Amino acid sequence: MSEVLTSISNAIIQGKKDDIGELTQKALDEGQSAQDILYKGLMPGMDHVSDKFKAGDMFVPEVMRSARSMANSMKILKPLLIETGVAMIGKVLLGTVKGDLHDIGKNLVGMMCEGAGFEVKDLGISVEPEAFVEAVKEFEPDIVGMSALLTTTMRSMGDTIKALEEAGVRDRVKVMIGGAPVNQSFADKIGADAYAPDAAAASDVAKKLVKKS
Amino acid sequence: MRTNYRINSGVRFEMLSQDQLQELFDGVLHVLENIGLEVHHDEGRDILKNAGAWVDGKRVRIPQYLVKRSLEMAPRSFTIYARDGNPKHDIHIGPGRAHFGPGPTPPNFIDVETQERRPYVKDDARIVATVVDALPNIDFCESLGTISDVHPDLAASYEFAEMFPNTSKPIVAWSYGWDDSEDIHKIAVAEAGGQDAFERRPNYVHYCEPLSPLVSTFEAVDKLIFAARHRVPLIFTPCPLAGGTAPVTAAGIIIQAAAESWMGLVLAQAIQPGVPFFMGGVLSVMDMNAMILSYGAPELALMMAGATELAHFAGLPLWQTGGCTDSKVLDEQASLEGSISCFFSALTGGDLCHDVGYTESGITGSILQTVMMDEAIGYSRRITRGIEVNEDTLATDTIHNVGPNGHYLYEEHTHRYFKTEFWYPNLCDRHNFEEWEAAGKTKMRDRVIERTRDILSSHKPSAIKPATKKAIKEILEAAEARVKDKQ
Repeated sequence: MSEVLTSISNAIIQGKKDDIGELTQKALDEGQSAQDILYKGLMPGMDHVSDKFKAGDMFVPEVMRSARSMANSMKILKPLLIETGVAMIGKVLLGTVKGDLHDIGKNLVGMMCEGAGFEVKDLGISVEPEAFVEAVKEFEPDIVGMSALLTTTMRSMGDTIKALEEAGVRDRVKVMIGGAPVNQSFADKIGADAYAPDAAAASDVAKKLVKKS
Repeated sequence: MRTNYRINSGVRFEMLSQDQLQELFDGVLHVLENIGLEVHHDEGRDILKNAGAWVDGKRVRIPQYLVKRSLEMAPRSFTIYARDGNPKHDIHIGPGRAHFGPGPTPPNFIDVETQERRPYVKDDARIVATVVDALPNIDFCESLGTISDVHPDLAASYEFAEMFPNTSKPIVAWSYGWDDSEDIHKIAVAEAGGQDAFERRPNYVHYCEPLSPLVSTFEAVDKLIFAARHRVPLIFTPCPLAGGTAPVTAAGIIIQAAAESWMGLVLAQAIQPGVPFFMGGVLSVMDMNAMILSYGAPELALMMAGATELAHFAGLPLWQTGGCTDSKVLDEQASLEGSISCFFSALTGGDLCHDVGYTESGITGSILQTVMMDEAIGYSRRITRGIEVNEDTLATDTIHNVGPNGHYLYEEHTHRYFKTEFWYPNLCDRHNFEEWEAAGKTKMRDRVIERTRDILSSHKPSAIKPATKKAIKEILEAAEARVKDKQ
């Protein structure tokens, strides 16, 4: 494997978010394709990070830096990938549902998904069902991720899914939910496509969802 | 610039007042001067008499001035060194420093493979030493058993010979008497590079146990004389039972235990001025129903805390006790009793806390209990380390950077501190339900057993010198020859 791709992998593992742009440019200048940089440089680095994290040898702040490094490189690669017709891994639309202001978990999901190579749009907190619908039409995501911390606000997830159905866009997306009070049976009950117990699981679930579709 | 600013480093624990400690101290002096102890050792009594003690038959009374002078002579701060020069395994004894390790001599051991209780055998000493060497919160080694599959007079010699090559953490050595004490010392001195080198950097501690109430047995005194003459740091530790062989009250058992231990102090300082000395005493209750010395009683932690405060008041380090249980198995009781006594011991700063891994009231050693307690000690140490307050830890700049609705995960400040501010468990499970379920729904005890097996299959302690290996072989051969005609 080329030296520059190895150093890109290492930069991801070490979370060198400020150096990764330069390295990405260097790889392109050396004639590496955007596709190879993504699949032979960035992805192996993130896979390594993910394994280390699952084994308890890396920690959230470190994973966040790696994910941010990945995202910084993707900013450069994205137009090139589109240009050459390489399919992007996918788009994720995120938000904490109506009435709920908690967002650390949802932010983690966003960063983990970025790290997995997704393009992420975050609608923020207390997102109205209608705002989700508008964003689905505009951003055209593959996945809609909803978060809630409170048992009182988790029912907004069901409302949002209904709003997507009523607007006729439910079939265009997969719906993924998460948050402390949420579980698989609740996901089944409201007709969500998937549930993830934490942020690391969420990016894995997201990857599976886009593979299926 | 700060002025008139006081820093509390770590959690502060204090039970008895200076007035109460003075009263306990005077009580010990009173017992030693007016009641005295029986000393079953002719030479020991002669040494004490020459030092100024009043000897009447076997009864030895010690005047106050002599006790105080002996306390002056014993150091409060000193170092026990790792045999291999690894500074991480050195033990620095001094105020505010708590260390932990297993205990000596139970007849039984919990088999790591079968979890069955069986007699302790020679290879168990290797197992214990190897695991101790690997555990991050265990600082010194004891065997957790008496070897049953060698000549009974050589159990201690073989025990030390098995442990010494398998851990470079200092060993607290136990023995029956003079001969096996000498076997042990020869091994330690061989590695240190001679007696002089050993005296500069002592690499083990000797353990002697007098009898309650108020008897210094021949063996305990003989071992003490050996250790003091060879300048081996030593522990003189009785095991009084409140209500049985000591007063039922905490204050009463503390002064009796201290008197029993300080008889050893006076003798040791008379032989070798300045030899490091640990005040001892496993203080607990005789359960008035089960008739055992309880190793899981709250009174153990409480009495040991009182004894620690008295020792520190008198300027001595203490041989603490914790991490032990009356439970027969690795269960909730073992975890509850062991963890609380570990935490309490850590709070007192008792200098060497032993018996981490005692189960069944000291009848059965369990390295699995030690492994579980390693987690409890790490947990306790995070709490006793306390809260650091300075401009950087106040983090006002970082709070400003993040502001409302932000998060701290990208902050340099978070990166700088998240590994040192937080304690990370080795055994406690913090995964979400799904991950825990997927990983096999393990219980604490499953993870303890797994970690112990992992250590045993992967940990490689640093090697002893080839010359020491040869010396051990010769010492054991000579010891076998010594006992070959004895039953």
